[in-house]
Amino acid sequence: MSCAFEEDLTAWVDGELPPPHRARVEAHLGTCAECQGTERLLRLTVARMAELPAFTPSPSARRELLARVDALPPTWRERFAHLLRPGVLVPSAGLAAAVVLTLLVAGRTRVESPSLEEWDPGALEVAANLELVEDYEVLGLNSSEDLEVVENLHELGVP
Amino acid sequence: MDWDPDTQAMLKVAAGDKQAFAWLFDRHHASVARFAFRFVGDAARAEELTQDIFVKLYRHARSYKPTAKFKTFLFRVATNHCLNEMRRGEYRVARLTAEAPAEEDVGAMRMPGPEGDRPDQALSGRELEAAVGLALKDLSDRERAAFTMCRFEGMAYRDIAEALEASEAAVKSLIHRATLAVARRIEALQAGTVPARSRA
Repeated sequence: MSCAFEEDLTAWVDGELPPPHRARVEAHLGTCAECQGTERLLRLTVARMAELPAFTPSPSARRELLARVDALPPTWRERFAHLLRPGVLVPSAGLAAAVVLTLLVAGRTRVESPSLEEWDPGALEVAANLELVEDYEVLGLNSSEDLEVVENLHELGVP
Repeated sequence: MDWDPDTQAMLKVAAGDKQAFAWLFDRHHASVARFAFRFVGDAARAEELTQDIFVKLYRHARSYKPTAKFKTFLFRVATNHCLNEMRRGEYRVARLTAEAPAEEDVGAMRMPGPEGDRPDQALSGRELEAAVGLALKDLSDRERAAFTMCRFEGMAYRDIAEALEASEAAVKSLIHRATLAVARRIEALQAGTVPARSRA
């Protein structure tokens, strides 16, 4: 670099120097023939860049780009967002709610079922032998109590 | 907050809006293509790079933070992508050997006309293009990027600094060296001499 101000000359030509700095360069230019020559060269070069032919991109660029974007594999965010769509989320949530409800009901049924010790011994005997027959009539169910036991056998929860 | 239209569109792209992306492409793809062309000096490769840059922009839209001008952000993506391409050795060799005119060819282009050697009239458009192409080829990648953004996109030094993630002082120096190198190349071509390359 031949002059301490030379590196400022391009910024000065481009109007990029702050005012105090610009004033110093302008004052120097008035006294330095070498910088005057460089400044002229830079200014001419900057002007000539506008003469260069403009590069024009292909008219099919937009279509090609959008096709590439459409062909991109979905990101994990897009996959997750897909799962949160109402068409997917509502049936899934309904199914999950049904499963939870079923488990709760089943759990409550088990909790509220009486223990074996609380059952009537006659009912337990009927229940114990029920698996041996397929026709309830052979048991000779005559009383309403026996019928009630058979109707509620499913609540025993044990064979 | 009131964002400028580019930023608004980019935020929509981040939410998956492809129409907003197409709108941004329509507004900016010519600038990016010009930048890529000046950066690599080859039209077909510039088209490919432009596509890649916009695909990258789309894929990383969600990480976009509207803290800078959209164009600055876009040119940061473009510069990084072009720099990465230039660092691929095989591409650099191909570009230097196949696409840029040889020194002697550029020298042979010089056909002084009846106007003589007046520096502002002596070069044809083709000669000027070749001289600038050779000068850009000899610049460092960052000098070329800064020069291209400044001279062909009219970006302010501050925005270029942001795009290059450099200080304004560094950008001032990059642009000065690049502009002077181009100026010397044109000057030498007009004088009928071929300057020694500034870099190997």
